[in-house]
Amino acid sequence: MIYYLVVFVAGFAGSFHCIGMCGGFACALGRDPRGHGTTILRHLLYNSGRLTTYCFLGVLAGALGEVVCTRQGATVTLLGGSLDAAERVLAIVAGLLMIAMALQFFGVLQAFHRLAIGFGSSTFALSLRSLLTTRSRAAPLAFGVFNGFLPCPLVYAFAAEAVSTGQALPGFLTMASFGLGTFPAMLMMGGVGRVLAPAWRQRGVRLAGGGILVLGLITLGRGLLPLGAHMSHGLLGGHPI
Amino acid sequence: MTASGGSLCRHCLLPVGRRALQQSVNGESCAFCCYGCSIAFQVKNGKTEEWEAAWLLIRLGVGGFLSMNIMLFSLLIYGGVFTGADARVLPFIDILLLVLATPAVVILGGPFLRETLLEGACGRVTSSALIVLGVGAAYIYSTLAAIEGSAQVYFDTATMVLMLFTLGRYLEAAGRARAARDLEPLLAAERENVVVVENGTEIRRPVREVVAGTLVRVRPGERIAVDGVIVEGASHADEAVITGESRPVEKDLGSAAIAGSINMEGLLLIRSSGSGTATRWAQICRSVRDALMRRSPIQRLADRAVAAAVPGVLLLGGLTVTYWAHWLPLDRAMLMGVAVLVVACPCAVGLAAPLATSLGIGRLARHGCLIRDAGALEELARVRVVAFDKTGTLTLGKARVVAIETDGAPTSEVLALAAGLERYSEHGLGRAVVGAAAERGIESVRVRDVRAVPGRGIVGRSDGGTVAAGNRALMRDLSFTVAPGLTEQGWSAEASGHSVIYVGWGERARAVIALDDSPIPEARATIAALRARGLRTAVLTGDLAPAAHRVAAALGIEDVRAGLTPEDKRIALDWHRRSRDVVAMVGDGLNDGPVLVEADVGIAVGTATDLARETAAVVLPVGGLWLLPWIIDVARAVRTTVRTNLLWAFGYNLVALTLAALGMLQPIIAAAVMAGSSILVVLNSLRLERLPDPVSSPLPERASAAESSRSDISFPAALGPAIERG
Repeated sequence: MIYYLVVFVAGFAGSFHCIGMCGGFACALGRDPRGHGTTILRHLLYNSGRLTTYCFLGVLAGALGEVVCTRQGATVTLLGGSLDAAERVLAIVAGLLMIAMALQFFGVLQAFHRLAIGFGSSTFALSLRSLLTTRSRAAPLAFGVFNGFLPCPLVYAFAAEAVSTGQALPGFLTMASFGLGTFPAMLMMGGVGRVLAPAWRQRGVRLAGGGILVLGLITLGRGLLPLGAHMSHGLLGGHPI
Repeated sequence: MTASGGSLCRHCLLPVGRRALQQSVNGESCAFCCYGCSIAFQVKNGKTEEWEAAWLLIRLGVGGFLSMNIMLFSLLIYGGVFTGADARVLPFIDILLLVLATPAVVILGGPFLRETLLEGACGRVTSSALIVLGVGAAYIYSTLAAIEGSAQVYFDTATMVLMLFTLGRYLEAAGRARAARDLEPLLAAERENVVVVENGTEIRRPVREVVAGTLVRVRPGERIAVDGVIVEGASHADEAVITGESRPVEKDLGSAAIAGSINMEGLLLIRSSGSGTATRWAQICRSVRDALMRRSPIQRLADRAVAAAVPGVLLLGGLTVTYWAHWLPLDRAMLMGVAVLVVACPCAVGLAAPLATSLGIGRLARHGCLIRDAGALEELARVRVVAFDKTGTLTLGKARVVAIETDGAPTSEVLALAAGLERYSEHGLGRAVVGAAAERGIESVRVRDVRAVPGRGIVGRSDGGTVAAGNRALMRDLSFTVAPGLTEQGWSAEASGHSVIYVGWGERARAVIALDDSPIPEARATIAALRARGLRTAVLTGDLAPAAHRVAAALGIEDVRAGLTPEDKRIALDWHRRSRDVVAMVGDGLNDGPVLVEADVGIAVGTATDLARETAAVVLPVGGLWLLPWIIDVARAVRTTVRTNLLWAFGYNLVALTLAALGMLQPIIAAAVMAGSSILVVLNSLRLERLPDPVSSPLPERASAAESSRSDISFPAALGPAIERG
């Protein structure tokens, strides 16, 4: 359980990075003239759309990790190693990825940042904006679903973490915790609007970087430390394997 | 439909064919070639206020939401989460999945079902039918299973297959739009509006309303839509579409503006010199539109293969289910059948050729090279021999009269008569004679009943007698006597490689006009470039052998046949075709028309007369011989792309189909594989965008060296002063 709490907290910290892009969407979604209740409904729909996409990615990532683990596990057994070796490799890769993502939030590794963002997301995002102003009740949900797929280093980082868990359910739970972690900030953005000053935004990005960095180090540790896998499982509540 | 751009898809500009999909976007009726294009177009261009565009996205989003939830639960079930004590909840989850899946299937599958029904009503079975059948089977089976409470449901298969196909079609269409972006200005030319200045006010008018004398304002960065003269302002223009060469050309007061060129930095006011629809630019655009609408042979073949494949796949799907049902539970067998149906969707095969060819055609058109149709592009890639006409193609075609030797008749009379005849000629030599007469202020004699004798010259009547200008064979045909002295002069001029026109009247050849024609500067580099591409070059000319050999030697062409009538040229082409496959003929002028048709690919170089332009499959811009190696490169690149696309699409389909029939492919993976296949075909075709632009070679040193060495050839001394005698 503790593990998912950590992910939740990291997601919460990371969501201050979201304010840059997704926060803008949440603002644009704005208030519904039909009343307070409808406004909340709109934002909940938008966020559950996003959450669904994240969970879906999480399950896929976990299942992918499962495939990799089983396959490599077989070869590793052949070599007489422990069954955890593949999982460890995944943890190391995921940890390094997360640390790289975190570092670019601090302004290091900018090339990596461009790589992560530069998938022509802007045109897609622009065309999606039309959904925000549509009065249909289902529009925020649809928008949330698409929004979840927009290239975002934070999502990549947590998807990598989900792969490293090596199973569908923990992958799902990881991304679900992350997604829930981003709820408060996004709901706040929807409600509070553009209150946050640019200075705060900068601090938010740092905070996001810090959160991911910690999680990345933990993941890396799980792969590297002697018996790390068992320790971190024990320490952080482990995955229900 | 015609209003929205002929029968080309509004989004990707491929021919819509039989699958036309009508939809209203932004209050305008648009035709799309496929579902993917209609999504991509609405995503890109649908206005916010436009309900339909947003509604489509909402449907996709909600469909995605539902199917992702279904997939989520299903993956967890497959992952063994609900085992042991939790297995009790499974029936409820199945019902939940049914509740989620029903709207998802309706939302996502609707367009596919509609397409199937529409095509089915016309008695055709398309690839959508495969999807509908596969998804329908999975959904109906799962619904029954969920209601019965039995173990396994496949709602995830039904919805994810739909989701992946929709996504695949969208991505594919979005990729195709990148190709269309280049073609768009070419097709929009006739719809284009121009700013017309009338009594000091500026009004936007369609370009077809422009007539001679209309004042047109062109802003920086805009395309000049009319031919005319600049009456105000100065700028640079990029005339690539007319000359093939992309570089700024200076424009100021009084310069000619060419329709189709891009005004770079200055504000211009242009007085149109003709109708807005009669420009070469408009002509280019019309011919590109025509070319895009014609299907190439390879495309027709692929289409037939697709049409034949669909029933075959249905059969194979049925067989798969029947076979596996013997060994496995029905649901597993059905899943394998679904995988077969889904993976065999032949979308990629249908896409393999048209995208690559339209990219190629558009690319060529932007440099002023016109291709009659996709088939011509295919032939061009296969060309092994390039045969040239000499005059006007390899040479400037602007021969100069260098000497006139007579048997006593005054030079002025000779020129007057010859010019009277040659006024009606399209031939470069003829124009030179007319020019020489005009230069000397000699009025040409009026000649009646003029007719061209192809490969010989020109004959008419004046003062009751036959007058003729042409080669020695013409004199012989007309039974004109040629004085020995004149014959000798003619021979010696021919021996030194000059062109010779005999002028005769009163049953007698009276004079020999010697003309000189020099190779065009870029011809040598062009020939070298063609040879570097493994092509053989040849000259087929009606001119005399020495002149042809002289030019051929200067240019490095090995195969020369001179003194040919059009019939001879045809025979020569046949010979080349028999011995070396596909032959292209490059030419212009009256003599070439029939020969250009006869060649596998007729290529007319810009100065071509109208007849030749209609008969040629490829038309190069004025002075565009240097583009020849480049267009062959483009044609070859297109062919390679089409081939790799087809190889990929067929190979991929075959492998995937085999795996699916053997039960080694999950339907969802099969759908992903299929969607990926079309996208790969699009991406592979888009590589054509990276082809280099044509580079006009900075060569003239060599050509001019050849020219100067040629001018050393001493012209018979006796002829020298002859020109002074006139």
